[in-house]
Amino acid sequence: MSWAGRHIISIADFSTEDMLHILDLAASLERQPRPDLLAGRLMATLFFESSTRTRLSFEAAMSKLGGQVIGVTDALSSSARKGETIADTIRMVDQYADVIVLRHSHEGSARLASDVSRVPIINGGDGANQHPTQTFLDLYTIAKLFPDRLQGAGAPLRITVAGDLRYGRTVHSLLTALTHFPVCMQMVPVPGLEMPGHCLDEAQMAGCPVQLLPDLETAVAQSDVLYMTRLQRERFPDPLEFEHVKSAYRVDAAMLRSAAPQLRILHPLPRVNEIAVDVDTTPHAAYVPQAGNGVPVRQALLALVLGRAEVAVGSGA
Amino acid sequence: MSHRVRQVEAIEAGTVIDHIPSDRALEVAHLLTAPGDQFFLGAHLRSDNMGHKGVVKIANKELSPSTISRLALIAPGATMSIIRDYVVVSKDPVPMPDRFTAIARCPNSNCVTNHETVTTDFLVVRPSPLEVRCRFCERSFPASELVLT
Repeated sequence: MSWAGRHIISIADFSTEDMLHILDLAASLERQPRPDLLAGRLMATLFFESSTRTRLSFEAAMSKLGGQVIGVTDALSSSARKGETIADTIRMVDQYADVIVLRHSHEGSARLASDVSRVPIINGGDGANQHPTQTFLDLYTIAKLFPDRLQGAGAPLRITVAGDLRYGRTVHSLLTALTHFPVCMQMVPVPGLEMPGHCLDEAQMAGCPVQLLPDLETAVAQSDVLYMTRLQRERFPDPLEFEHVKSAYRVDAAMLRSAAPQLRILHPLPRVNEIAVDVDTTPHAAYVPQAGNGVPVRQALLALVLGRAEVAVGSGA
Repeated sequence: MSHRVRQVEAIEAGTVIDHIPSDRALEVAHLLTAPGDQFFLGAHLRSDNMGHKGVVKIANKELSPSTISRLALIAPGATMSIIRDYVVVSKDPVPMPDRFTAIARCPNSNCVTNHETVTTDFLVVRPSPLEVRCRFCERSFPASELVLT
């Protein structure tokens, strides 16, 4: 499938080859910056929900490639407040911009936008459904930390996802993506926030069953990657239950004394209480560089959908 | 000599939907009929294969593709016979489409299709038991959770 003009909506739309192509291009752009690659191109960011990392890293990615950015960062300042539909908003903005990054609280909003848009839509998060660019940067981070292991060199990577596995869109997308690679998936869900059955079924059918681990201590000792997620207070009807789980579900430096030396901890951020600050200075902490990887990955995606990827890795014309 | 009693009245011409899950028979009758239509409804009838089943016979009417698609959603596994002059001219399983477009609402209240004017679109994930996935919010549902529009 041609990349130029392609929409980035859901991890399910991408093959293994697609994912490896994105990772290769991101690595190339990180090694060799291309400050003029997207000169004259305009990216519109429509963020109808709050965002820090996603919006800023998209803006940084576009700016570092010589492109320009316009955008809406607050739904209250846009026509959406007056009742304008997503479809009408997109039909208007695609007259102004060459690519649109959309974040919206309604699941499926990015797919709807892609149905009506003349320019590529990149999903910056649609409710609890998908956040594909986060998944690509997670994959890129794992590939950088463990070169060649994602493609099968050495023992399969042991990747554990932990925390809110029910509502956390990042872990669902990550699991879908990792079924394309020879990894050993493990999980430590918070009770009551277990991985939905259909996610487990799909992983099983893809030949990537997810093994349940009893607790975080076991995960720390038996993982190469521990992917933590944030607990959200609103998921707990009982505030006392939330406080109890919040205290119990936490990785700190003392727990990491039993960690495998190669263990790296990832987190889509923001964190609340689930990773103690004393973990930050250990060699296991990888969540800050992970956030930084958002820039080359989003540079790669922008170059691809704007038809400039071949130029990026070519002679530099 | 064996003697079988017809459980639902025969029709001279029209369509017979058989092997309907018993609890969906009324829904099927509601879907397939319009005011003034002559129809016969049998519910909780004995069935060798299903235990109990429903049957709906509609006189002088054959179904449109759109109606057949709706029927597949609420009564997957049912059979459809066309009757002409008291003769069964065809009898086939209700065909299962690979997608259901513009006939049902997404059960996910946060799906964009419940907030904007959008043509709903569900892809068949598994034919039996029928499970579908919303093309927009990407959630999967048993067919029984969908509400026809």
